Amino acid sequence: MTQDLESVEVSVSNLDQKNSNIGSIRRITKSLSLGEKVIFLLIFAILLGAVFGKYLAPYDPYFVNLKDSLLPPSSQHWFGTDVNGRDLLSRILVGASSSLLSTLAVIMFAALVGTFFGTLSALGPRWVDETIMRVSDVALAFPALILSLGFAAALGPSLRSAVIALALTWWPGYARLVRTFVLEVKHREYVDAAKVLGVSRRRLIFKHILPNALVNLYVQITIDVSAVLLVISGLSFIGIGAQAPSAEWGALVADGRNYILTGWWTVMIPGAAICVTGILFNLAGDALRVINDPTLVRKGEK
Amino acid sequence: MAKFVLQRLAMVPAVLWAVATLVFFMIKLIPGDPARVAAGRNATIEQVEAMQEKLGLTKPLFEQYFSFLSQTAQGDLGTSIFTFRPVLVDLMQVLPSSIELVFAAMLINLLIAIPLGIVTALVRGSVTDVVLRLLTLIGATVPVFWLGLVLQYLLGAKLKIFPISGQKPSGTQIERVTGMTTIDAFISGDFILFSQTLRYIALPAFVLSLAFIAVSARTLRSGMINVLDSDYVQLARAKGVSKIRMVSKHALRNAILPTFTILGMQVGWMLGSTVLVESIFGRQGIGSYATTAVLQKDIFAVISVVLVMGVVVTLLNLLVDIGQKIIDPRLRVSGG
Repeated sequence: MTQDLESVEVSVSNLDQKNSNIGSIRRITKSLSLGEKVIFLLIFAILLGAVFGKYLAPYDPYFVNLKDSLLPPSSQHWFGTDVNGRDLLSRILVGASSSLLSTLAVIMFAALVGTFFGTLSALGPRWVDETIMRVSDVALAFPALILSLGFAAALGPSLRSAVIALALTWWPGYARLVRTFVLEVKHREYVDAAKVLGVSRRRLIFKHILPNALVNLYVQITIDVSAVLLVISGLSFIGIGAQAPSAEWGALVADGRNYILTGWWTVMIPGAAICVTGILFNLAGDALRVINDPTLVRKGEK
Repeated sequence: MAKFVLQRLAMVPAVLWAVATLVFFMIKLIPGDPARVAAGRNATIEQVEAMQEKLGLTKPLFEQYFSFLSQTAQGDLGTSIFTFRPVLVDLMQVLPSSIELVFAAMLINLLIAIPLGIVTALVRGSVTDVVLRLLTLIGATVPVFWLGLVLQYLLGAKLKIFPISGQKPSGTQIERVTGMTTIDAFISGDFILFSQTLRYIALPAFVLSLAFIAVSARTLRSGMINVLDSDYVQLARAKGVSKIRMVSKHALRNAILPTFTILGMQVGWMLGSTVLVESIFGRQGIGSYATTAVLQKDIFAVISVVLVMGVVVTLLNLLVDIGQKIIDPRLRVSGG
């Protein structure tokens, strides 16, 4: 009898797999247009740059050489040099790891904690739900920049503080999102079916509810990259994030701001790096959203 | 209506308490000895000990918490180790200037977003979609501090259309009445000076607004589309109501409501962004006060900025909620 139930359960979980819009990588690549494929390739390249930047850098990004101070972009120095004669391309490449990896760390933490509290909120007792939602109300009413500014100031200025501060600030948004997704999935028929079959609560949550509730989460994660990147670089810009001689992109803009009249590239290029990265991740997020919800294509954006 | 206002007002202390608790938690996060941090880098041992006494660090945690709450409730946010004045006095001094900037940014936001929202709702097609999408992308990805520097360089230093930084022409005196430079210049009756101060505020306000224009325009647009597709507008159209009247009388009034909520939240976010904009343009304000405090390692002053902004945002949300009730008669009846 138990064996029977087991096999029925397997077929039920096969069913929700089929119903769900979890796409295999192949399915995703198949439904992408050429332009979108290029976007994903560029993102891949940027991530490679973030991981291997220090090996790719043509010069030592920290080597001060006042003789070469503020050289404009040339074939020697593609992006020119900063006031200390450091090669800007090398610094941007190394800075990519500070900027992007810390951004990803924030998002991963926020998504994990948010998923935990969001699920708890959706499935737990009423008072747990109320508490979590009221806490997130307060946190979300605050501008993220200000809240993380306070935390980072308390922890002492450093990129690590900025990451921790931002992670503490960012999770309530995910908690709300996950709560909505879980509540929506909770009442689907296959969940009821699994429940009737006597599936354990843990198995129900981890096997049936969460996998289907979280498929939409990666769209938000992709789009959030630019938002978090903006706050991280903003914190570094005002001096509470990455500290000198770090090449974090916001810190690079801050380094260049006093020399913009004699060396516009020291400000323009790091900022452009932030923009381009943000734009790519945003476009990728849009593409993923359309794959998840094909009706969007027909309706157009409202 | 009165009942609703009272209900919302009753919520305010609870939220303020939550904000204060959050800030207390921040202070507790300070590694090492907060008294040393509060007393400043060059403080003597006696000063540090006095600060320990003042902060009550020798007392048990919950006692510290309650004395923090009562001090904060009385407006005692400590003394800045940089200006040597009470932080609250400092903040009240610069807050009007930030409010002025946020107000100007909101004005620019509305002046662009409302026409854009209406036009893109009426002319639905590829061109308007592209314009909105582009603006959205720019708003979501361009760092505001970078935009400030770039526009300052291009429009200020190169083309000389706008002054590079500051709030008024150097050498001019404006008597402080409200603390808002443009308003004070207006009150002084010198209209040339007034127009000059407007030129000073224009660029930072535009920089501050850019990230928000697309969001407001899109919210208004989707509200407009919902209303324009509704039965009563179709009826009005069938009865031959002119297009202008249809938009202004029927559609816009109803579509502005969801937009109103968004605008209220945006004021809070804009106030937060002053931290990135004000110091670039050499403007006084709560944002540049925070950046200076960061550079001076005046941690308690930074945390006080968080507290004050939290209070401002809370009160703003209250105003938005009540304002919405006043605008929308339906909420007045069904809400209670």
